Amino acid sequence: MKHMTIAKDGIRDFIDRLVKRCRVIAPVESGKILRFREVSSGEEACFDFHNTKLSPKEILFPQNEVLFKYSKGRGAIEAEAGPSKNGEWVIFGIRPCDARGITLTDLFFSSGEHKDLLYLEKRGRSALVGFACIHPLNTCFCTSTGGNPFGREGMDLLLVDLGERYLVEVLTERGERLIEADRGLKDASEVDVDTANKLSRVAEKSLRTRLQMEGLSEKLDGMFEDPLWDRVHQKCVGCGVCTFVCPTCWCFDVVDEETADSSSRIRLWDTCQFPLFTLQGSGFNPRPTGKERMRQRVMHKLNYFFREHRAFACVGCGRCVRECPVNLDIREIIRTIMSE
Amino acid sequence: MGGNEEKIREVAGRLLRDGEVNLIIGHERGTLPLRSSPCFVTDPEDLDRLIWDPTCDINLAKYLHGRDERVGILAKGCDARSIVVCASEGQVEMDRVVILGLPCHGVINRKNIESEIAGREILEAIVTDEIITLKGEGFEEVLPTETFLDDSCMSCRHRTPPVYDVLIGEPLPEASEDDGYAEVNELESKSAEERWDHFVDEISNCIRCYSCRDVCPMCYCKECFVDETMPAWFGKTNEITDTMIYHVVRAIHLTGRCVDCGACSRACPMHINLRALTKKAEKIARDRFNFEAGISLEDTPVLGTFKQDDSEEFII
Amino acid sequence: MTNPYIPHISVLRKIKTENAVNDIKTFEVEFEDPEVARGFDYKPGQFGMVSYFGAGECPIGFASSPMDKGILQFTIKKVGVVTTALHNSLVGEKIGVRGPYGNGWPVEEMEGHDVLIVGAGFAFTTLRSLVKYILHEDNRERFGDLTVIYGARNPGELIYKYDLSEWEKSNEIDLILTVDRGDESWTKREGYVPTILEEVSPSSKNAIALICGPPIVIRLSMPILTKLGFPPDKTCLSLEMRMKCGIGKCGRCNVGNRYVCQDGPVFTMKELQEMPKEY
Repeated sequence: MKHMTIAKDGIRDFIDRLVKRCRVIAPVESGKILRFREVSSGEEACFDFHNTKLSPKEILFPQNEVLFKYSKGRGAIEAEAGPSKNGEWVIFGIRPCDARGITLTDLFFSSGEHKDLLYLEKRGRSALVGFACIHPLNTCFCTSTGGNPFGREGMDLLLVDLGERYLVEVLTERGERLIEADRGLKDASEVDVDTANKLSRVAEKSLRTRLQMEGLSEKLDGMFEDPLWDRVHQKCVGCGVCTFVCPTCWCFDVVDEETADSSSRIRLWDTCQFPLFTLQGSGFNPRPTGKERMRQRVMHKLNYFFREHRAFACVGCGRCVRECPVNLDIREIIRTIMSE
Repeated sequence: MGGNEEKIREVAGRLLRDGEVNLIIGHERGTLPLRSSPCFVTDPEDLDRLIWDPTCDINLAKYLHGRDERVGILAKGCDARSIVVCASEGQVEMDRVVILGLPCHGVINRKNIESEIAGREILEAIVTDEIITLKGEGFEEVLPTETFLDDSCMSCRHRTPPVYDVLIGEPLPEASEDDGYAEVNELESKSAEERWDHFVDEISNCIRCYSCRDVCPMCYCKECFVDETMPAWFGKTNEITDTMIYHVVRAIHLTGRCVDCGACSRACPMHINLRALTKKAEKIARDRFNFEAGISLEDTPVLGTFKQDDSEEFII
Repeated sequence: MTNPYIPHISVLRKIKTENAVNDIKTFEVEFEDPEVARGFDYKPGQFGMVSYFGAGECPIGFASSPMDKGILQFTIKKVGVVTTALHNSLVGEKIGVRGPYGNGWPVEEMEGHDVLIVGAGFAFTTLRSLVKYILHEDNRERFGDLTVIYGARNPGELIYKYDLSEWEKSNEIDLILTVDRGDESWTKREGYVPTILEEVSPSSKNAIALICGPPIVIRLSMPILTKLGFPPDKTCLSLEMRMKCGIGKCGRCNVGNRYVCQDGPVFTMKELQEMPKEY
C-alpha cells in the first residue's frame, strides 16, 4: 500500500487544486451545524470536527431528487433524471463509519432484480477521502457493528492526522488518480506509518461503547411478539430524526410536483416511523401504532437486513443516539435484547 | 429542584400503592451527559429512577394523549399549562390525571452549553440549579446554570405551575419583568422583505423531520395538515416555500395554545430557532384576546370561543 | 443508463364501469411506442406501477391476460389521490405504466394440477387474469380441472360480469358465484365465500389453491382449505401493500426480510407463516 503525507496547512491548497478538475464535497458550516456541501475552495471546508450532523448519504442519495420531468400537458416524459453536471466528485472528510454506511448503501441499491441505477451511476463517479477517527466519541460504537475508527471500507484515500501533517493512505486506483503527481504530497516515512498504526490501536481501545452484537440477529428471529416492544416504544414521539440522520436508512417517498416552470416526479426521504408510511388506500394500516413502527426499525436494521446481507444496517455512528429528542438510545435497546 | 427528588418518589409511591394512579410519568437519567429521558413507572420498586433537575427539559404532557390509565404526571409550569390546554380541548380527562406540580428554576439549553465548550466532548455532567459541572478528556469546567438556561425559561412567568394536584417543593416567586418578546419585537420592526430573508435563512437547514411537531403536546391531530392529500395543501420537499408554509402554519395552529415551553426548539436537530414564530403566535393571543394559554381549567380555547368584545379588525 | 423509475407512456383506449356504485372501473391502455408494446410481457399476478402524471403512481395488478396482446387492462378502485385522478380521466388521455413487477401466480407449478381459485370482491382482478390465461386454447390442456369460487357483497359488486357469463357457459371451468346478500333478481347461491368454499368442498388431490380477497375472507378461508387437505405450500395468496417504487427500494412494502413488490405479491401460505404478520 502506498503511503504519502501532506502538510496540515496544505490540505486546503490541495482542495483548491482538486476543485479545478472535479466537484469537491466537504463538511461546511451551515447555520449552526456542520453538513456536507459542495465547496469551491479549500477555505470553505471545516476539518476540525467529530462528525457532521447529517451523514454524507445526502450527497449520493439527496433528500430531494428529481426522477424525471414530464410535460405540462402531462402526456410525455420531458427529461430523464441525470446529473446536471457530469464528472467526478470527491467526498472529502468522511468518517470510517459513514464510508462503511456508503458501502452498505451500495449493497442495498444494487440488490434485487431491479437496481437503483440513479444512485449507482452517481456512486460510480464518486471518490471517498476518509478521515480516520483519532478520538471516537462516547456515542460511537462502530466496532460493535463490524467497523473500525480507522476502517477503510469504501474509501479511496484515508487521511490520518499525525499532528503537523496527515498520513495519506492510497487505497484504490481512483485514490491514486486523485493525488497523482500532486506537488503537495510527499512520500511517507516509516515513522509516519508507525505513528498512524499506534494511533489506530489507541483509537480502537478508546471506544467506550462496546456492544455484544454477535448473535443479535438470531436472537431477534424469535422476538417479533416479545413484550419488549411494548416498553421500548413508549417514549418515542414518532418523528423522523433517527432515520434522517442515519447513514443506513434509505426509505423514500415519491411525489409529483408541478410549478409554473416545470413538472417533476421527485423522490424524497421518508421514514418508517411516520404513520402514513404503510397506510393503505382501504384505510388499513399494518403498522397502526408506534410500537409496530419502532419494532420495524429495530428488526429491519438488526435482523431483516442482516439475514439478507450478513451485515447490520447500522454502522455505530451514534447520530440517532445524539439527536433523538427524547434520548431513546439504540445501544440500550441492543443491550436489552441481548440480555433477554 | 434537586432535594425534591425524595419527595417526588414518596408522593409517586403513595399514589401507586394506594391505587390512585396506575402509571407515573416522569423523568429519568439519560444515557448521555446533560440529558434526561421520559420515564414510565408502574412498579413502586422502580421509583428510584425518577429524577428532577435542570436537565428535565421534555414536556411530558405529550405522553398523556390516548391513555386509558390513571396517570400521575410530573409537571413543570409549562408542562402543567400544556395539560390544561389539552384538557380544554377535550384531549385529556382531568379526573384521570394527577398533576404533581414541580416549581422550576428553568431547564438547560444543551446546544448553548455545547457551543460554550467549543467542540470538546462532554463525558460527565452534574447539573444543579446553581452550577453545571462538566468533565471531559483533559478538562473540567463549572458554568453558572442561570446563564445556560433555555431562552423560554429566561422569561418564564409560571415557575410555579398554575394548576396542580400536589405541589412538590416550595412555590417560587415569579421572576422577570422581561416579557420575553424582545426577539419578536425586533423582528416586527423589520420590513417584510427583511423578515422573509431572515426566516428563509433560519429555516434553510430544515430537514422536515417533524421533531418540533412531535414533541409538542398541542400537536396531537391524528392526521396532521402536512399529511393531507385530498387536497394536499403544500409539498413535502425541501422547497423553501413549502418548508416555510409548514413552520408558519404550525405556529398559526398554535396561536392561543402554545405555552412557550421551548421543547420544539430544543428538539430541532438542525438548531433552528423555532420559538421566534411560536412566540409571535403567543403574542398575538395576548395582544388581541388578552389571553394566556393554560392558566385556568375554566378557560375555553381562545380561537374557538366568541366573546362580544372580541376585536374584529381582522375580519373586515 | 436506464432510469428504473421512468414509466412508458400509454393511451387510454377504453374505460368500463364494473360495479353498481361506480367506484371500480377497468381501464384498457395501449403503449404509445409500438416497440414497447411488442416487447412487453407479463405473467398473471404481476403488477404495473400506473401513473397519472400530476397525481402520482400506484401499484395495480394486471387484470388482462398476457394472451391478449397489444393492450393492458387494469381494474382500479377509487380510494385515493391517484385512483381518483384515474377515475376522472377520459379516453384518449395518456397515463404512465412501468413494469411488470412482482412474481406473479406460480403458473409453471400449477401445470399438471387441478386449480382451485377463491376470490372475493375487488381483489379478484389478478385472478381474472389467471383464469383467462388458463382458459386460453394455447394453455388449457396443460392444466387439470379449474374450479373458481367468486363472491361479492351483493350482485352489484360482482366485477367482470361479461366474463362471468361466458365462463358459466363453458365446460372448461366450474364457476361458482355467490353473494353475501342477493337481490330480487339473484337466483344463484347466497353466502360468504368461506361458507360456500366449505359447501363446495373441492378436492385437494393434486390441486393448488389460489386465494385473493379482503383479510377477513382469507382468514376464514384458510382453516377450510387446510381441512380440505390443501397443504400450506400448495396454497397461494396475493398480498396488498402500499408501494411507491415497485422495485424493492423505497422500503414501504418490507415485511420481514422480504419485499412484497419483489418477492411477492404472491406468497404461499408456508412462506407467509415464516414472515411477521405485518401485511
